[in-house]
Amino acid sequence: MLTVLMALPPPDPQFVLRGTSAPVHTLHFSCGGPEPDIPLLFSGSENGFIHVWNLKTHRVDTALDGHGRKSVYCVETMGGKDRLLSQGRDQRICLWDLAEGRTSVTDSVFTEHMGFCRCSLLKVAQGRWLMAMAARSLEEVQILELPSKTSVCTLKPEVGAKLGMPMCLKLWQLSCGSQPVLLAGYEDGSVVLWNVSMGKALSQLSCHQEPVMSLDFDSEKAKGISGSSEKVLSIWCLNEQQNLQVYKTHELVNAGISDITIRPDKKILATAGWDHRIRIFSWKKLKPLAVLDYHTATVHCVSFSDHSSPWDRLLAAGSKDQRISVWSIYAQT
Amino acid sequence: MAVFDTPQAAFGALRPVCVQLTRAQTVENVRQLQAHLAGVSGAALQELQEYVLFPLRFALRVPGPKQERLVQSLVQCISSVLAATCVKKQELLQELFSELCTCLAPPPSSVKAAPLSEELKLAVIQALHTLMHSAYGDVILSLYRPSSLPLLGFAVSLLLTLAEQEKAKQIKISALECLQVLVLQCDCQEHRQLDEDEEQQCGDLFASFLPGISITLSRVIAGDIKQGHKPTVSAIRLFYLIVGLVMADKQLARIPKSKEKLPVEHSRISELMIHRGSDWTKSTAEKLSLLLHKVVESSSVHPHWKVRLELVELVHHLLRNCSQSLVDSFSHLLKAVVGLVNDENSEVQSRCNKVLQGIAEQRIVAQNRALADVLSENLHSLATALPRLMNSQDDMGKVSTLSLLLGYLKLLGPKINIVLNSVSHLQRLSKALVQVLELDVTDVKIVEARRSEPPGPLQQGVQKGRCQKKYFRFFTEEKVFQLLQQVCRVLGYYGNLYLLVDHFMGLYSESGLYRKQAAMILNELVMGAAGVGVDFLQEREVPLNVDDLKGSITSILDEYMDQANWYLVTSVDTEESSPEQSEQHLGLAVRAGGASSSILLQSSEPPVTTRTMNSNIWQICIQLEGVGCFAAVLGKEFRLLLLSALYPVLEKAGDRTLLISETALGTLADICEACGYDSVQCLINENSDYLVNSISLNLRQLAYQPRASQVLDTMLRNSDASLLPLIEDVIQDVLSALDQSYNSQASTFLRVLHSVMTALVQWFGMPSAEEHQQRHSDKGQSRARSQGQHKVTMTSQEVEQFFLDYVSQKRIAEGDLPDLEEEEADEIPLAKPEPSSDTEGEAPMPSHAQLARDVMERCIHLLSDGSLRVRLKVLDVLELCVTMLHPHGNHLLPMAHRVWPALVTRLISDDPLAVLRAFKVLCTLAQTCGDFLRQRFSKDVLSKLTSSLLSQAPASARAGPVYSHTLAFKLQLALLQGLGSLCERLDMGESDLNKVADACLIYLSAKQPVKLQEAAQSVFLHLMHVDPDSTWLLLSEVCCPEGYEPPHPSLRPVKLSGMGRPRNELTDNVLLLLQRLQQQEGTGPRTSTQEASPS
Repeated sequence: MLTVLMALPPPDPQFVLRGTSAPVHTLHFSCGGPEPDIPLLFSGSENGFIHVWNLKTHRVDTALDGHGRKSVYCVETMGGKDRLLSQGRDQRICLWDLAEGRTSVTDSVFTEHMGFCRCSLLKVAQGRWLMAMAARSLEEVQILELPSKTSVCTLKPEVGAKLGMPMCLKLWQLSCGSQPVLLAGYEDGSVVLWNVSMGKALSQLSCHQEPVMSLDFDSEKAKGISGSSEKVLSIWCLNEQQNLQVYKTHELVNAGISDITIRPDKKILATAGWDHRIRIFSWKKLKPLAVLDYHTATVHCVSFSDHSSPWDRLLAAGSKDQRISVWSIYAQT
Repeated sequence: MAVFDTPQAAFGALRPVCVQLTRAQTVENVRQLQAHLAGVSGAALQELQEYVLFPLRFALRVPGPKQERLVQSLVQCISSVLAATCVKKQELLQELFSELCTCLAPPPSSVKAAPLSEELKLAVIQALHTLMHSAYGDVILSLYRPSSLPLLGFAVSLLLTLAEQEKAKQIKISALECLQVLVLQCDCQEHRQLDEDEEQQCGDLFASFLPGISITLSRVIAGDIKQGHKPTVSAIRLFYLIVGLVMADKQLARIPKSKEKLPVEHSRISELMIHRGSDWTKSTAEKLSLLLHKVVESSSVHPHWKVRLELVELVHHLLRNCSQSLVDSFSHLLKAVVGLVNDENSEVQSRCNKVLQGIAEQRIVAQNRALADVLSENLHSLATALPRLMNSQDDMGKVSTLSLLLGYLKLLGPKINIVLNSVSHLQRLSKALVQVLELDVTDVKIVEARRSEPPGPLQQGVQKGRCQKKYFRFFTEEKVFQLLQQVCRVLGYYGNLYLLVDHFMGLYSESGLYRKQAAMILNELVMGAAGVGVDFLQEREVPLNVDDLKGSITSILDEYMDQANWYLVTSVDTEESSPEQSEQHLGLAVRAGGASSSILLQSSEPPVTTRTMNSNIWQICIQLEGVGCFAAVLGKEFRLLLLSALYPVLEKAGDRTLLISETALGTLADICEACGYDSVQCLINENSDYLVNSISLNLRQLAYQPRASQVLDTMLRNSDASLLPLIEDVIQDVLSALDQSYNSQASTFLRVLHSVMTALVQWFGMPSAEEHQQRHSDKGQSRARSQGQHKVTMTSQEVEQFFLDYVSQKRIAEGDLPDLEEEEADEIPLAKPEPSSDTEGEAPMPSHAQLARDVMERCIHLLSDGSLRVRLKVLDVLELCVTMLHPHGNHLLPMAHRVWPALVTRLISDDPLAVLRAFKVLCTLAQTCGDFLRQRFSKDVLSKLTSSLLSQAPASARAGPVYSHTLAFKLQLALLQGLGSLCERLDMGESDLNKVADACLIYLSAKQPVKLQEAAQSVFLHLMHVDPDSTWLLLSEVCCPEGYEPPHPSLRPVKLSGMGRPRNELTDNVLLLLQRLQQQEGTGPRTSTQEASPS
């Protein structure tokens, strides 16, 4: 296997998007639409702009300015490319209406959260979403229903748990209609599983010595992965008793992972490294597949596209060097 | 003569002559009758028609031999009666008809009798002609009953015999015309239109005559050319009229299965009648096909154009009426028409085109499968023969063959796909095209012609992408190429684009032999598909689907721009291509894992010959032209494809091979026009993001770096400062790429860095340079001003003050410092500006300056590179960097500090060329870093420079005129030219100045080359600026033309060693300089102050 890897040098990006003129903090694809729809990539950058990239022309279609020039660190679409959610350092989460060329903020949520914790979105019914976000008080996570903005519950750790601030969130449910569950990574390096409807912590696992920077979870295999500022990737699983257990750890060459994403088909995952590199692993055995070396500064985020045809699938990474590299990698596998 | 209007009056007048004629049938009597007839009005004569005719007919019927002249006059007389009247009775018509025919028939008994005279024949024919015209519509039809078949047949055979065998042209023509009337196809409009049934009847009837008529006519048509064109034309017309009538598809379709039974009494006639059943039709068509072939063959090459024109009409008529029945003949017929499209006569040409157009518009081919089959069969056989024909025929022959091919394709129109769907057809056709289009690749010039370096910026509105003139192996005529182009375009227009593109792409990748031709064809196909420049006869049925076109174009582009097809060896340039080539293989091998493996085959190719390089050049050009075509076809839609297409084209625009770069420039112009950009610069500017993307990705691969840097180079040349934010990161990429491969790629990257810096200086550098100049001249002015004051108000007090100053200065120099406070107070205002300059340094540097600094950093490393070329280039870049960093002294100085050691080495121990450039850098550097350099310069460099000047001086003094071309001379010159200003800029100390002056003095010798003398003069002129007094002294010691009287007896007399010296080699220049010095310092001779100056 090693020889094969050596024979195949790491590929180049398929293309590189330039022009955000600020470090890129978050990326989100919207490519699932049928043919006449133009595949899009949303990028949020430190200067507070959300750029809508047309992936046919590789140019910015629109630049959205809604966070008072404060860094945008989370962008998600809500059921299509016309509705967008964005979270910025101005402590606001904005809901955008982008249909028919509009670029207006229809609604916004004031989070009062000072950290970098990205919110997590889960579609629970047609036109109804749950959103988990770090709340004002340090350790709390608040769950809201969108678009009504009604608070569903607030998840407070037990007194004296000393988890610190939530760092990353992942809201999920086993199947449509089942109980929504939240995975949250905390400042002290632990990952906690919350039952959202009961507002109760189900399980807690210390994965890292340092704050958990990012996590992703595969609900089919009941397995998740988290990264921190250390040199270690931690893979954990959820057993039938709803307990989190360490499954495996993976040693890295360089420390610092800022983002982890499992591809929607759960075959591979990508990490964004502080060492300027994107790493690709197989999700099944966490076998290192490729190290993508292009950026000249910390990679902040990685994202897989939602193309309906696997052949078109892309990987994008945004970096502090202000560039977004787009890769076509392991598209066939 | 009186006119008789009423029948009564006419009767009265005519009766005597009629009676007379009845009694005695003489020519005289007939003439009388004729004379009287002239006086009778038409209406009256109509009443008396039969009466008048009677004696005439009677005279004809009299048994026994008759005088020919009599018969002739009788017939003429009948003719004139008939001309004025109508025949209203069927019997009369029939009788007259048969009587007239009998006149023509040779006497049955005596076959050997003397033949009838020509006049008589003519008269009879004309009479028949008149008779047919005088009969009423219904009446005439009585002639065309089955019962009159024998009679008609008789007439027909008579007339045919005349037409064929008669020598006189007039008779032939009349006979043919008469026949035409007889078969009811008269040209004149007087006749009643027959209805369908009647036509059908006639058709049945004439079918009996068809064999005879057609055979005879074909003989007439193919007959001796001497008979003139008119009979031939008439014969052709008659031929197609009768064939068109009898074989008309409309009629044949209505023929009942079995033969109609005629009444018993007509049984004999019934045998003569023909049933136009399918068997008959088939056999007749076969026979006609032979005849038509014969007709076409003889008349298509007939020297007279009217005959050829009539042939076109024949085809037109038959195709319109008998496209089904005569389908087998059309292969000949269409060939004839299609071939005549290029007839030398314009009328024939235009008629041909119209006919073809008509055929196409009426969709005769489209609706007739059989006809399409015939055409495609023709096409196939033509395509089969095409390569052979192209080999053997001369250019004219090729033109006609190809126009035939084109004609077939045009006629087939939308039915082309029938042909294309058959593999063998398509293969034949494509092979033929590919073979014909083989290029001539023997021209060495193509390979040799290089672009002149350095390339200028891409001109505005470059010559629009006209195709490069190509040279073909098998033809030279431009017309041939145009026809081939049309063939391809018509194919593209009607054909299934996917199928065609697939097929030719297959050929393209099948073999290098076909690649160029296939590409050429593909280009034309796409043009055709888009309907650009296609000469078609009918619109295609399905309009163009733009998405299909785009899809095809995209796939072709991908193939064209594939590594293996785009990057071909086009030169054996030792400088560039050889490392590139080897790396290319390496790069390809790397790529091969992911892409096609066919690329690898290339590496095992034999060494390149001129021929292959020529071929490669053409292939690239054709592909570039293709890109231009595609852009033109897609228009603004092409903008999307610029993402992948612009970079490769731009790469080729910088190619060293002239043909390629020219073609690429043309392509760029095409793209500009198609995509709506005003200029190439616009195109590059607006798509710089795409280019930057490609450049940056290509820079990551060692093998592609030279090309990527070339494109960056082109981009920089053609863009403006707005580009900077985008390319900043690419330049950083270049720098980091350079960091990783100092050894192998240094010269490549230096070129880029050079253009980067040139661009930066151009975009940002100008104002500061001006500013500097400004500052400099200010300085000069103030100095001049102070000196001016000096001169004007020189008083004894001032002299006194001067001495006082001098004394105090001297004391200070000796370490005796007087009032310190005063000193400080003096310096306070000086210290003030400094903080402000500090804050300026802390302010963030503009990015272009940062870039310059980064580049300069690399230059430090490269200054001691092993290759002289590299060192020279580095020095150039360094100079630009220094210029760029001019306004940012705080950053320049540390860099200068780091550069210095390496630069010194260049200055004192390197190739003269490098010394030369290094000295230039030094001069530039001196403009800003005067203080910084002063010490170092005098310590590290100056003595070396002066000693080299001194040591070289004897050599140059001895040298002949050739010396000025040597490097040593150039070095001397540069040093002398630069030293002066350098000294001035650096504000050098006295001892250094003396050193310089000493070294330069010998160059004032008249023995030195003039240029060196001038340069040495310039040194002294600069020295005069810095220190006029010591210079004066120095010069005067060499040569002093005048004596100086001390102004006061208490002063010692002036004694200079130059005084009273004999004239020597230095005298001229020194005198000149002294003169200049005087001008500079004031008019009169020096005053005593000069002597008092410290020396």
